[in-house]
Amino acid sequence: MRYVGRKAALFVITLWGAITLNFLLPRLMPGSPVDAALGKLASSGVVITNAQRQAVEIQLGVPHGSLVSQYGQYLNSIVHLNFGSSYSFPSETVAQTIGKAAPWTLALIGVTTIVAFIIGTLLGVYAGWRRGKTADTTVTLGATFFAAFPPFWLGLLLLFVFAFKYSVFPIKGGYSPGATPGLSPSFLADAVYHSIIPAVTLAVTTLSGWVFGMRNNMINTLGEDYVTFAEANGLRTRTVALLYAARNALLPNVTAFGLSLGAVVGGSVLVEGVFSYPGLGNLLYIAVSNHDFPLMQALFLVITVSMLVAIFIVDLIYVRLDPRVRQA
Amino acid sequence: MRRAFDFRMTTLSLAAVCLVGMAACGTSPNTGGGGGTLTIQGDAGNPTLVENFNPFAGSQLHGTFLIYEPLQIPSPVDGSYTSFLATGSKFTDPKTLVYTIRQGVKWSDGKDFTPADVVFTFNLLKKNAALDTKGVWQQITGVSASGNDVTINFSAANVPFALSIAQTPIVPQHLWSSMADPAKDPNTHPVGTGPFMLDSFAPTQYSLKKNSSYWQADKVAPSEVLFPAQASNQSTNQLDVVSGKFDWSYNFLPDVKTTFVNRDPAHNQYWFPPGGTIGLYLNLTKAPYSDVNFRKGLSMSLNRTTIATKAVNGYLDQASMSGLILPNLKKWLDPSLPNQGLVAQDPSGAQAAFAQAGYTMQGGKLVGRNGKQATMTIVMPGNFSDWVAAAKEVVQEVAAVGIAATLDLPQYAQYSQGIQAGTFDAAIGGYGGSGDPYTDFSLALSSTFAAPVNTPSANNFERFKDPAVDQALTTLASATDSSAQTQATYALEQEMYNKVPIVLMYYGGSWGLFSTAHFTGWPSASNPYTLPTNYNNSLLTVVTHITKK
Repeated sequence: MRYVGRKAALFVITLWGAITLNFLLPRLMPGSPVDAALGKLASSGVVITNAQRQAVEIQLGVPHGSLVSQYGQYLNSIVHLNFGSSYSFPSETVAQTIGKAAPWTLALIGVTTIVAFIIGTLLGVYAGWRRGKTADTTVTLGATFFAAFPPFWLGLLLLFVFAFKYSVFPIKGGYSPGATPGLSPSFLADAVYHSIIPAVTLAVTTLSGWVFGMRNNMINTLGEDYVTFAEANGLRTRTVALLYAARNALLPNVTAFGLSLGAVVGGSVLVEGVFSYPGLGNLLYIAVSNHDFPLMQALFLVITVSMLVAIFIVDLIYVRLDPRVRQA
Repeated sequence: MRRAFDFRMTTLSLAAVCLVGMAACGTSPNTGGGGGTLTIQGDAGNPTLVENFNPFAGSQLHGTFLIYEPLQIPSPVDGSYTSFLATGSKFTDPKTLVYTIRQGVKWSDGKDFTPADVVFTFNLLKKNAALDTKGVWQQITGVSASGNDVTINFSAANVPFALSIAQTPIVPQHLWSSMADPAKDPNTHPVGTGPFMLDSFAPTQYSLKKNSSYWQADKVAPSEVLFPAQASNQSTNQLDVVSGKFDWSYNFLPDVKTTFVNRDPAHNQYWFPPGGTIGLYLNLTKAPYSDVNFRKGLSMSLNRTTIATKAVNGYLDQASMSGLILPNLKKWLDPSLPNQGLVAQDPSGAQAAFAQAGYTMQGGKLVGRNGKQATMTIVMPGNFSDWVAAAKEVVQEVAAVGIAATLDLPQYAQYSQGIQAGTFDAAIGGYGGSGDPYTDFSLALSSTFAAPVNTPSANNFERFKDPAVDQALTTLASATDSSAQTQATYALEQEMYNKVPIVLMYYGGSWGLFSTAHFTGWPSASNPYTLPTNYNNSLLTVVTHITKK
């Protein structure tokens, strides 16, 4: 219980630190939201005038107060979970904007992370058990090969071949143009169809990490005396591999899995960008490029909180998985 | 992202300044009936579209330009006017502008459009400064209606400002007078006088249907216009464009003949006219850039054709130092300027000019009287790829005359802060493109904008001050007859050419891509009635020009 209490206290302190950083970091970026908005005009070829600048300043209603008073307002908005409306999407609240994007990211990246973890871990167990054999070499080489692909690059390649050259899959978006998001079977089918290339891209490029991690842990664990002892006792191969070796080798991977589940919420900025996927990663990119403080703060808050919660949960699960932690 | 300079398409384009319209090019024959769907590569979805049809918002969807009409649209090519809600206009004196308002026009909800709506719209801008993106109320003192006329009173003579007045979108008083906050209202049920009405909106596409009671409905061929959202990344957009989904798209494409035209040679067309000028801005408050001879030397050191090839694939050529975009504004060009104001690379001429500024070549370095080599840091937004390509070439070319130049590539926001505060050495920037010489010269050269260093100014940020220029601008602002306008414009061109306040380098392109599969009559080099920009007033001009195939 003391262990849990200490972890909880740490959680609260880290949360406060993260929240404060979320406030400070966006404001350390050079330039202002007004400059960012004018930059979009300028890049469309418009020569910016002072009149435009004044109008945009008034439109955005950029805060003028001191940093301290802005920080007070910010903490207040967090306590009440009321982030107002953003500069990028002025006609809706920040919560609505994030609420619309979150399901796409949670579904796409959440599902691919879980699938990649399961497949990658199993392949790692297999390769580790058959270490040095052809199976190991094949799996390891294959994983190395795919690990070398940057996800956005593989995404572009798949997009070019399957969406452009052969038109098997759509080029962009989370659903067909003109469709209205909902829970009808036809819309869900459309959404799944649109998610196939992005999902394959993410799964293939993240799989390798799990394979390597698990394979190496397995090989270490297989050298332990208790594994040799289990083998000497004549236990069945599968029992030794899965219950004796894999169970212990899994521990570091569980930590990593918790962290990557926490990271799901941040989305994958590059992959969502390549596929114009309507998720949180894309939203984060927009927020940063628009100097959109309200949206950035809310997104960073969601990301840090989910990361911290994930770590906290992993810490708690460890108590179950590893009896040694309970003593500490 | 769009019109002139930039190859990416990262962001939704805010309302571009709508200096767009028809040239006096004769009306194209119309078949009358028409029908069919016009598909336009629409707004950037980020990641999805935000419903906003407020014509003053700045972030309104492009379809808004087909729902609301302005009084007149000046052509961004040569500034000539096409009538919409005004049938004509004249200055009764240089401070009084009178529009004759079109009669018999109805709002799409069936109510009559009247001159009172025009007066209401301008007063709306007065009450809501956030809507006044063109600074109308910094120039005018009042607006009033009498019969079919609407009179605008200027605080000082400013004839060319009619350009901005004319393009103000007119909104209905009977709906907008009760709006709580017109600056923030997304106006999701737009009622305008224009050729189209909102039909449906979804987060990745919206569609407009034809307004059958439109006052020139016979000139509108499509019965429906679709705006599918663009991707937020450029490579996906390029794939979308070349796969032939759009009747009208706007994208830079490398090697456009192979990548676009050859995929459907019978229908695919492109037109990449100049839409603006890209220049090397020098900080005129700093030595040695404050010395006109140094600037002339720099100007003669550059091979502008090579710079244009590097920056815009050679689609566009070097810019005239007259300050006019050619051939668009050729009717204003001073014939006494040598070679139409095109400056050729001239290393020995450059050395002579540098010598007059006190800089001589010593061991491959251009050294000043203080014994130090001339240096230059050129700043530009790191993601404006054509500007960066141009600047890299500039660095090499000025190295050949002994100047040590380096690049600084921050984000736009930081770039913008630096140039506006006047703390830069040299910067790449856009110039002109309004279609009107006065507007171009005034924004870039008028000493009224030349704020002290560290007081921000978006215009004339090089901080040029010249009484002759100010005098010519004042003359042009109050000139209502064409010979006086011509003489004042010639004087400004001479100043630009001889004093080199900005080293103009090459023309930025306007990247129009068309398909004639469903509609014909797109703007082109032989019929340049407007620029091919599909995100501003050109939409209205083009839609009232094209005919069904």
